[in-house]
Amino acid sequence: MAVGLRLSSELVAGVVVGTILGWGFDRLLSTSPWGLIVFMLLGFVAGVMNVMRSAGVGKKQ
Amino acid sequence: MADPIHQFEIHKIFTLGHIGNQEIAFTNSSAYMFGAVAVVSLLMLGGSAGRRLIPNRFQSVAELSYEFVSNTLRSSIGEEGMKFFPFVFSLFMFILTANLIGIIPYTFTVTSHLIVTVALALMVFLTVFLYGLYKNGLGFFKLFVPHGIPIYILPLIMVIEVISFLSRPVSHSVRLFANMLAGHITLKVFAGFVTSLSALGAVGIFGAVLPLAMTTALTALELLVAFLQAYVFTILTCIYLNDALHPGH
Repeated sequence: MAVGLRLSSELVAGVVVGTILGWGFDRLLSTSPWGLIVFMLLGFVAGVMNVMRSAGVGKKQ
Repeated sequence: MADPIHQFEIHKIFTLGHIGNQEIAFTNSSAYMFGAVAVVSLLMLGGSAGRRLIPNRFQSVAELSYEFVSNTLRSSIGEEGMKFFPFVFSLFMFILTANLIGIIPYTFTVTSHLIVTVALALMVFLTVFLYGLYKNGLGFFKLFVPHGIPIYILPLIMVIEVISFLSRPVSHSVRLFANMLAGHITLKVFAGFVTSLSALGAVGIFGAVLPLAMTTALTALELLVAFLQAYVFTILTCIYLNDALHPGH
């Protein structure tokens, strides 16, 4: 359970931060919904990258 | 059945004062935080008071915890990381003690509240950010530019790296909080099965042996989780501090 929670919290954190950034971006520049769409996808990518890093996939040689 | 959330309720003990219309109260959570600090202080002061060459139990617990944290710090940052030792050691001992106190029945678990773990994680995050800027100047932002990336996808990678960096305090705090919350709720639900099953009569009392065994096993697991999560929090702090000292992958 500890490993599962660790990896899932990494993924969720990436998506949440991306979504918040996108939402704030839209609020500031009134570009809704494009900021949300773009930053949520980027947040998803960052979350997957976090998971891969903390699982030790693709470590620097 | 017993309410599994009841153990996380915050009670006001007395009021300290007001800021605007907001009441600043001394709660059971604050009391347990002071308790954890008092236990750690007593352990370290009591352990280092004797200065025996052959340590007694008290002193060897204090020495073991010192050695443990300093080894973790040295192996992930190196000798220069030792200037962060007071910070990392306080974090580790506080979280470990708060987790361990929480396992005792009828007590309150400080680290099962998101606001506490967020405060701790933000403290680490801001230390990393401000110290990194102070130490490396603008070179700190090399953290967001990995080596060997073709120039045409560099802007995309930078945005992703920044999001990944900002998501650190979120996952750092949620991990500790979720583990403590989930563990304590599971424990309480299984313990609740024991009482509600044994209310059913003879067959129920016989059946209640199963959740009772489960509760016992889960308590042992929680003891492990309490230590493990304090350790995970510490080692991640070390990894993040390492980024502040040596940015650039």
